Order: sequence, then C-alpha cells, then structure tokens
Amino acid sequence: MTQFSRRAILKQMGAVGLASAVPQTLAAQNPYAELDGVPWFFLSDTEARFLSAFCDVLIPEDEFPSATQAGVIDFIDLQLATGYGQGAGLYMKGPFRRGTLSQGYQAEMVPAALIRNFIAAAIEQGGDLAAADAEQREGVVSALSETEDSFGGAQGRVVFEELWALTKEGYFGDPLYGGNRDYAGWEMVGFPGAHAYYLEFVDKNVPYRAPPKGIGHIPGTNRSASLGASAMMKKEG
Amino acid sequence: MVTELPKTDVVIVGSGWTGLAAAYELANAGQRCVVLERGGWRHSTTSFGAPEEHDELKYARQKEHMIDTPIKTLSFRNDGSQTALPMRRLGSFLPGKGLGGAGIHWNGQLWRPLPSDLNMASHYSERYGQGILDGLSVQDWGVDYDELEPHLNFFEKICGTAGIAGNVEGEAAEGGNPFEGRRSEPYPNPPMKSSPPQDIFRRTAEQMGYNPFHMPSANVTRAYENPYGAQLHPCVYCGFCERFGCGYLAKADPIICIYDVLKDHENFELRTGAHVLRVEKSADGQTATGVTYVDEDGRELFQPADTVCLNAYALWNVHLMLVSGLGTPYDPQSGEGTVGRNYSYQTMAAASVFFEKDVWSNPFMGAGAMGMTIDDFNGDNFDHADLGFVGGGYISANQTNGRPINYQPTPPDTPSWGREWKQAVRENYLHHIGIVVHGSSVSVPQNYLDLDPTYVDDYGQPLLRMTFDFPENDRRMSSYVLSKAEEIARNMDHVRAVSTSNQAAEGESYSVVPYQTTHNVGGAVIGTDPSTSVVNRFGQMWDHHNVFVFGACLFPQNLGYNPTGPLMGLAYWTLDHMKSDYLENPRPLMDA
Ligand SMILES: Cc1cc2nc3c(=O)[nH]c(=O)nc-3n(C[C@H](O)[C@H](O)[C@H](O)COP(=O)(O)OP(=O)(O)OC[C@H]3O[C@@H](n4cnc5c(N)ncnc54)[C@H](O)[C@@H]3O)c2cc1C
Repeated sequence: MTQFSRRAILKQMGAVGLASAVPQTLAAQNPYAELDGVPWFFLSDTEARFLSAFCDVLIPEDEFPSATQAGVIDFIDLQLATGYGQGAGLYMKGPFRRGTLSQGYQAEMVPAALIRNFIAAAIEQGGDLAAADAEQREGVVSALSETEDSFGGAQGRVVFEELWALTKEGYFGDPLYGGNRDYAGWEMVGFPGAHAYYLEFVDKNVPYRAPPKGIGHIPGTNRSASLGASAMMKKEG
Repeated sequence: MVTELPKTDVVIVGSGWTGLAAAYELANAGQRCVVLERGGWRHSTTSFGAPEEHDELKYARQKEHMIDTPIKTLSFRNDGSQTALPMRRLGSFLPGKGLGGAGIHWNGQLWRPLPSDLNMASHYSERYGQGILDGLSVQDWGVDYDELEPHLNFFEKICGTAGIAGNVEGEAAEGGNPFEGRRSEPYPNPPMKSSPPQDIFRRTAEQMGYNPFHMPSANVTRAYENPYGAQLHPCVYCGFCERFGCGYLAKADPIICIYDVLKDHENFELRTGAHVLRVEKSADGQTATGVTYVDEDGRELFQPADTVCLNAYALWNVHLMLVSGLGTPYDPQSGEGTVGRNYSYQTMAAASVFFEKDVWSNPFMGAGAMGMTIDDFNGDNFDHADLGFVGGGYISANQTNGRPINYQPTPPDTPSWGREWKQAVRENYLHHIGIVVHGSSVSVPQNYLDLDPTYVDDYGQPLLRMTFDFPENDRRMSSYVLSKAEEIARNMDHVRAVSTSNQAAEGESYSVVPYQTTHNVGGAVIGTDPSTSVVNRFGQMWDHHNVFVFGACLFPQNLGYNPTGPLMGLAYWTLDHMKSDYLENPRPLMDA
C-alpha cells in the first residue's frame, strides 16, 4: 500500500485552499447546493457540505445519481444522530491504545465525534473541500484514504473507512433511513428490495424486472417513506 | 446480597441449539430444567416477519441479533508478544444473544464430519507417519463416527435437512457426496434448487473429474414435520438468511424446531434476561452446586442444581470455566492445563467469478445453504503425502446472501471507489457468483484462550482473551485448495474474469475486522486423556463430574465443515449418556 506522507496531503489540502477562492457561482452548481436549509439532526451546514463533496468523490454522478443526490448525506446525518453514531455496538472501556490493523476500531471516540473532529481537522488544514474542483477533491480523498496521520484524533484511513462504509450503506440501504432516494441504488444494480419471494425464479436464467420496494414503500409510487432530515423539510415546506 | 432460589435438577446456561436440545431431552426424561438466557425472548412467527426483517442495514450491518459488544466481547491479539486489545466492534464472527441463540441468524449449512475427521491424529499418523503432525496439537476426538452416526442423523431430521445422500448403508448413490461416511438413512427432504451459475459450476466440476453435489441444507424444501412434531415450511429463496431470523419458518431454528414443542412442558422453565456470572463449586471443589446469575433488575441470584449444562456458545463456555475456576487453565509456556487450549477457527478463501451478460445469477435470490459443492479436497479425501499440510476444505459455489450493501462484486483491477467502481458494480452485480473454500483449522500450541489482564465487561469480570493467527499448515492448505477452486472457475463457460481472495494468505495476519465465520472452536476439548482434554468422551468435565459441556468448544481442531452438525451430533450423544447412565447414578463416566 502506498504511504502518503503528511507533506503530500498538506500539498493536496493547500491546493484546495487555493481553490476555495473560486467564485460562489461555480460551487453552487454542485449537488450540495441543494442541501442548504435542511434541518439536520446532527450535522452543521459546513459539515454537510464537506461530506457531500467527499461522498460524491466516492460515488460520483453518472447516468445514476451521486451519493448526495441519492440522499447519502441525509443517511449519514441520521446515523450520526442515532445508535451507530452514538456508539451503540461499541465497547468503549479503556485503556485506549493504537492497535494493529487486525485489532480493528480502537478510537477513543464514538463514530459521531470521530467524524466531526475529522471534518474540522480536514477543513482547518486544507480549506473548503466543497469549493475545490473535481480533480483536487479526488486527490484529497485519495490521500486521506491511505494516511496514517491523525485527523482530529484518529488516523485518516480509519475515518475514511467509516465514511466509505456509511456511503455504501446510504446508497444501497433501505430508503427508510434517508438514503437510496427513490430507490436510486437499488435501481442501479437491479435489487428488488425487501419484498422477497423467488421460489419460481431462482433456477431460471432470466432477468428479474420487478421494480424495487422497500420496507416503507408508498403504494402506487416508486418511492418510500423516509426518516431523513430532507424529508422533514419537504413535509414542513 | 445473593438470593438463593429453590433447587432444580438441571440448570442450562444458554438457549441456542444445544441448550434447547438439552432441555427437551432432559425435561422429557423427568428432569426439572431451568434454562438461563442472557438475551431476550423472541419468536420466529412474530419477531422475524417480512418486510421489516429484510432490513440489511439493521440486521446485517448493525447486527441487531448478535451479542452486544459493549457488554460482552473479548480481547484479541495475533501472538503472545502483543498486547491484546478489546474487539470493540463485531466483525470476524457474530455470536448470538436471545432465545434461539445464533441458531436464529445462521445459514443452515448442515454437515456431518468425515469419519477420518474424528480420529484425525491417528488417521494421519497411520497413513503418512507421525512426522506429518509435527508442531501441531491435533488429536482424536475420542468418539468415533459410528458412535455419533445415530445422533448426527437425528439432528438432520430435527432440521428437515435437504440433500441427496451419497452413502446409505454403504450403497453409493448418484448425485450425493461420495466421500461421506455411512448413513443409516437418506436426508429427510430433497435438495434445494440450483441457480444457472451453480449449474455451470456443476458441469465444469464433473468434466474435471470431481464429484459435485447439493450442499446439505437446513433451509427446508417442502412442508415437513420433525421427530418432535414441529412444522417447517418450504424455503422461498428470499436471500435474507444469514444474519436474519426466518419469518417464513423455512430455515430450521431452535425456536420452531424445539422451543415450541417444549415450552409447555411441566419440567421446563426459561428465564430470559438472566446473565450467568459463574458456576459455583462445592467446598471440596469436586462438583458444581449451581450457577450465580444477574437478572434483568440487576439482582444477583443463585440457582442451585444437581447438574450444570454449559450451552453458552463455544467462546463463552470457556469464559465461564475460566472465571469460575473450573478445570485448569492452559499455560502456553509449560503446555500444562487444558481450559483454553486448542482454540482454532476456520480458514476461508474464495474465487470470485464474473460472467458474461447472458448468465443471470440474480444474487438476491438465494438461501443460506444453497450451494453446489465438491468435497474432493476436504479432510483426507486426497493424498497429502507430498503437500506439506494436513486438512482441507470443501469448495462450493454458493448463492446465499447477495444483498447490495455487503455484496458489490467488482472484477480484478477495479479501483475501490469512484466512477469506475460504480460502473463495475452496476455491470457485475447480476452476473457473479462466489466459489467459497471452506477450510479446516489445525490447533497449535500458540493459539489459545485465557483471561485478559486489563479489560473487563459490564459485570466487572475480565474479558476472554483470544491469541490467534493462521498456522503455517493452514496457509499452505488454503492456498492449495484455493488453486483448485480457481482452476474450476477458469474452466467454467461464459466467464469474463476471475479473482481470488484468501483470509490466510501468506504474510496476512488474521484480523477480527472482516467477517469470516462464526465457527470458533476448541478451548474445552473432548478426549480420552485428561492432560489434553477438558471433558471426557461423553462431554463430562474430568474435574467436576456434574458439569456437562456442549458446543464447538469441544472440537480438538476444526474440520473443513461448518460446526453445527458435528456439535449437535455430540450434544445428542452426551444427552443419550446422561439419560441412559449418568442421571440415575451420578459419577465420573470415565476413569481419569
Ligand atoms: C452468521 C452465522 C452463520 C452461521 N452459519 C452456519 C451454518 O451455515 N452452518 C453451521 O453449521 N453453523 C453455522 N453457524 C454457527 C451456528 O450458529 C452455531 O454453531 C450454533 O448456533 C451454536 O449453538 P450453541 O447452542 O452452541 O450456541 P448459541 O446458539 O450461540 O447459543 C448460546 C446462547 O447462550 C447465551 N449465553 C451466552 N453466555 C451466557 C451467559 N453468561 N448467561 C446466560 N446466557 C448466556 C447466548 O445469549 C446464546 O443465546 C453460523 C453462525 C453465524 C453467527
């Protein structure tokens, strides 16, 4: 595995710092502009914009929606506010030590704090990721994915893994949790969802074309109920 | 203050497959049984219904049915020179909690051991000479295949197992596993369906001279009543099997198969929310007097009993022994002591097969035990003379759990995120199958379980400490059997690309992070010599004759199969000896 030096990362970050001088209109074309005014459960607007830029490097827009467009920021916001983010399923007794890779998560913080501190450190060292151009964003995310350097208290690569897992969960999980909006992720791969009964199909060499349905499917639509913060906004608006 | 409860005949710790089987058999033999289960009550008919249960985030990722690591976990290190750190989050294995234990969220791949698995040490030394076992702690189980056969057979019927027998009373049968030991009866139900990629695997394996067959499955293939009178329904291949409970009542689980037909028995009492802290011993230390547990209100209670059954899962049985001072802890320096000795695992590898667009795997359709398998490289089914290792594994094209958060197959050289990754996932998701190498795991002196010197659980008890890495023997075994799997994959028709992965690859340490299997075995092994086993060949502790031990902790090393068939065979074997001999005359059933 390539080891990125601290200097290389700071160089990438520096590039972003420069880029944050680009005019606001350019940035506004990005999908995260639509996140303005969402009544987040956990995130600040700055954090939401950072995550949006970050996650859209991981799952960019093509014929299918980007992570942000598919509601991944809603999903992450909800997760950080609830069980996962607050440390459900984590043994949190000390002493804490930096372990080997094979010993897994050893951070002294629950994931919500880990990610909050990471974003703050990344912005402080490198400026506004959301304002950078695509190539710079990719460079930063790539550097963070491999670095052993600490960003807000844990190695960059550790927090990267958390964020990448969350991004996939948001893109492919049940839309009830705010991500996979309008079944974007399931449509993309061809997964029919939670209503599963395949006795007559499993041994046939044919495509299966039923439209996806989630746990909270709204009959007669191609949508599902959602607990995400954006859905709240739509209701209020 | 510890409150002492009225005495019972038998106290059983844990309500999974082994605990409920023990309760059924002993209650029906006239013993008053109290089952203590640290998790909650739940029921397959009301707790696991679709679509709510079909929530990959909640059950597969956030692991709602599994142990709560804030309360119950262990510490881990790869070798004795490292400092063990707590496994803060579940990963490599996923033990259960609550009524039914891990039997609720298992896959249902239901195997028997090969006859030579049970006398592994003597079998290998007779065939290849002693030297082949140098440096290993491999030993015989002390109970042989013919003795276990009726009990293996009975559990297959409890589960309504689906499959084609390969050897009924010595008659070889078409379509079955030609390597299996003699069976007294065929499987109770016909095999599962197979998917298009599995059919391609079967054809190719046959052409290469191997012997493919349907994996034996506890996902039931037609309406079925088991010997206890419990009803199972046919599997609908919903693809939500491993890590989920089955609301279709089609995957055999301990609630449907045993609890429902036991719950009203006058000799049976289940207490949930009851966390057993330790087994108490008599003043002379020779016997157990019962167990102390904490109930849901935080009260400490002592449940006296004539007989104690440990059914808490392989790892937690060993933990209970260590914190209770049962038996003698293993010391890796001196090699003395037995509790915690011979911990081993499962050695997993896989070949990943990417098909052309006209082969539809539709991986979301499937079942936990929907596999097309060959056993040609398992156990000692092949010549080990010049291979430099013992053991082996089965090779199986499995269509089990293709849900999209955990299953994003991408061909070799695809970046791990970004535009190309996204494109590759979309192109391959419906046209891919994994060929699993499910390999054995030898025991070695340096892999073991003991108590952690630093970290404690919520009850103030030291965590169990696991010291484990893949032994060289298993790395060689895994790479050899994987090369065979890869060869089959490359010979298959309509294949665009093949990649491989190996958890035990040379240079890679065993990690508690990626899921491998919940097949933790050993630590309280069965045998005929008290210096190398914790229980005698009847599952009875050498040091405390009224303590009986159940589960995979009994395995002296791990075989190439999933453990539940073999461990339930042992469970019914032990229960048989308790009922027919021990209970009317409690004493050590073997001389030490
Ligand atoms: C995801 C997954 C897939 C699997 N797939 C397969 C498969 O396909 N084939 C196969 O053969 N095996 C499989 N297994 C393994 C199988 O589930 C186990 O072998 C089997 O369930 C073990 O049964 P048990 O009774 O020994 O333990 P468990 O089922 O674990 O039951 C132990 C019970 O004891 C309780 N307990 C623990 N400690 C205490 C305490 N101190 N006080 C009170 N109660 C306690 C626990 O809460 C639990 O309910 C799988 C396991 C998992 C997790």
